[in-house]
Amino acid sequence: MSLKTFRGGIHPPEHKESTRDLPIERVPTPKSVVIHLTQAIGAQNQPLVKVGDRVVKGQMIGDVQACPAATVHASITGIVRKIEPAPQSNLKDGMAVFIEADGTDETAYMAPLDAFACSREEAIKRLRDAGIVGMGGASFPTDVKLAPPADKPIDTIIANGAECEPYLTIDYRTMMESPADVVEGLAIAAHIVGATRAIVAIESNKADALPVIEQQFAGHSHGIRMGTIIAATKYPEGGEKMLMKAITGREVPSKGLPFDIGVICQNVGTLKAIKEAFIDGKPLIERGFTVSGGACKTPKNLYAPIGTVIADLIPDVIQMSDDVRKVIFGGPMMGVTVPSLQTPIAKGTSGVLFFTAAESKQYEERLCIRCGRCANACPAQLMPMLMNAALDANDVNRADAIGLVDCFECGACSYVCPARIPLTQRFKLGKDLLRNQRAKEARHGK
Amino acid sequence: MENKTMKLVLSGAPHFVTGYDIQKTMGMVIIALLPALAGGVYFFGLRALLVTAVSIVSAVAAEFLFRKALRRETHVTDLSAVVTGMLLALILPVSSPLWMAAIGSAFAIIVAKELFGGLGGNFANPALVGRAVLLMSWPAFMTRWSPSLHAAVVDATTTATPLGILKLGGTITDVMKSVGASGKPALYLQMFLGNHSGSIGETSALLLLLGAAFLVVTRVIDLRTPVAMIAATFVASWLFGQDPTFSVLAGGILLGAFFMATDYVTTPVTPIGKWAFGIGAGLMTVLIRQLGNFPEGVTYGILLMNVLVPYLDKIIPRKFGFVKPRKVNA
Repeated sequence: MSLKTFRGGIHPPEHKESTRDLPIERVPTPKSVVIHLTQAIGAQNQPLVKVGDRVVKGQMIGDVQACPAATVHASITGIVRKIEPAPQSNLKDGMAVFIEADGTDETAYMAPLDAFACSREEAIKRLRDAGIVGMGGASFPTDVKLAPPADKPIDTIIANGAECEPYLTIDYRTMMESPADVVEGLAIAAHIVGATRAIVAIESNKADALPVIEQQFAGHSHGIRMGTIIAATKYPEGGEKMLMKAITGREVPSKGLPFDIGVICQNVGTLKAIKEAFIDGKPLIERGFTVSGGACKTPKNLYAPIGTVIADLIPDVIQMSDDVRKVIFGGPMMGVTVPSLQTPIAKGTSGVLFFTAAESKQYEERLCIRCGRCANACPAQLMPMLMNAALDANDVNRADAIGLVDCFECGACSYVCPARIPLTQRFKLGKDLLRNQRAKEARHGK
Repeated sequence: MENKTMKLVLSGAPHFVTGYDIQKTMGMVIIALLPALAGGVYFFGLRALLVTAVSIVSAVAAEFLFRKALRRETHVTDLSAVVTGMLLALILPVSSPLWMAAIGSAFAIIVAKELFGGLGGNFANPALVGRAVLLMSWPAFMTRWSPSLHAAVVDATTTATPLGILKLGGTITDVMKSVGASGKPALYLQMFLGNHSGSIGETSALLLLLGAAFLVVTRVIDLRTPVAMIAATFVASWLFGQDPTFSVLAGGILLGAFFMATDYVTTPVTPIGKWAFGIGAGLMTVLIRQLGNFPEGVTYGILLMNVLVPYLDKIIPRKFGFVKPRKVNA
């Protein structure tokens, strides 16, 4: 049987064995947390608290100033000690609220809300008030995603359990341990957007999660037609556009958005958070993530308050070997390196990887030999070697014509490049150059 | 508890890379050329190995010394100079003077490759440039062919290649006589096995196809260009009234199609470009064979197409999610 998939892609080593069978462990409540005010793609948030205030777990501490953005909440109960910039996993040090625990476990959750009885506006407001964002890594505000324009009807919603990034197993564990929450969240999300069918999609390497999920359909589907699909194990199968293509055969148009083809995709962790926001009134203040990598002596899956500083988990929860050289938030293909262990877990942190010196090896970049491997690997079916040549020649317009902005930075081209050209990096930079050029042209009325 | 002296590396994603690099790619090409080289030794004697060794050593030394002289990093371990040296030797007559092979190899590396920035910067296939220069400089040496050691008919120490016989006004029957074949099937078999005079590595279609199959199975080369080149040669020869099967098996078509027209750096990367390159190279080869002064045209056919690569790469394939722009009424 040939599994559903997209064209292109790569097969990096999976490295999932060390954590895939380890249940998610809840870390002891940390003595302090550092919560960044802005954790989602979009505008800067403003703090709702000041230094010295007592905050309660679940209380909103940062509110949205402009759309799109997501609210943030206190993840422990305690006192606000300072509000200042702190290391953040997207590399720009953002404003953060430092909370010191006072030892109580008081909570300030919202009242439960019946998603199937309330109005659509109330449901969207709940997502916003709970600060839900896409937890697969992109951190796009879910209240925006689940409120597509009226002229873009949605017929299909996909629960993304593909988890194609190597090392990461947190989505798999979430499906295995909380299948009812995932299915309930899927039903709620489907109801909000008016989708008539909901599909749970996974890669073939986690096929054992499917029966576990399917068992929950009877009790939690709320009348929505639900199904499961196994897609091929291939990176980036979990990329939103790739998964939609694999499952529905529809392609998100260039420069368009998923709702243009009537499909919405949500990470399984996000669906669990949606369920908690409605049924339990709990905002997004905790999340699961995988801890792994060659320099990690204690690979495991953890569940921790948002804002937990990695250094605080060492050595009681996580132990590193001495030759650790790189710490990555996210997966090895799209994750970001952090400069310090003082970086806190954010809403978008799906994994924390510790790499040894050998795993962090930097390679000498050679000239492109035009072997074409990048083009074969590119899931967006671009010609990375030609875009790279255009950018080398400072010709952003040519790079744009080839499809620079269609690159979604999955890293497949860099992975396969025998000349070790950091193509993905080059394209991120190229997009900035292109944006600057377009802005300049707009200013000069061109 | 953080170790204060700990230094963390920051880098852009991805943080993962395949173990496959330029050296491995070139290593695969070298392996794929070994059957043809072994065939050269079998058909033309151990001197074939000597010419190849000299050509390789000269190529590697030229690259190493040139980059040293310019105080640039040397990359001889990437094996690309070995490939160039090997390819050049395989398209030389076995009787080539060793100094000539050495000069051709050094010229190929220094002028055709390093002066353009090294591997990846060159626009023309270095081995073919080397051969073209030798052909112009020492045409006598470059057209002095030895018969196969296992030829059925041996009447001279030097002979003409099958294509050479045709160029001198001979017929296909004369070619059959030269390889001791009684009919066309026997001729094709001799040509396929490589038991006739020619360049060291070009004669045996069987051994070249063996190497090519290895490169196709390991996905080192794309089949589009060679298929297009062979098909174009077949059709064009037939249009000129030649025996198309003979035309494909004779001379350097297979070596050129599978090992020169698939050179990454000097051929197109786009699918349409690959087809166009192959068709153009096949067509040019036949035109040179039929209308030019040389019996063989693969070298110039491919070199000519090398020059056109930037244009052949203009038509890019459909990208994911591409929507045809609607026509805007003026």
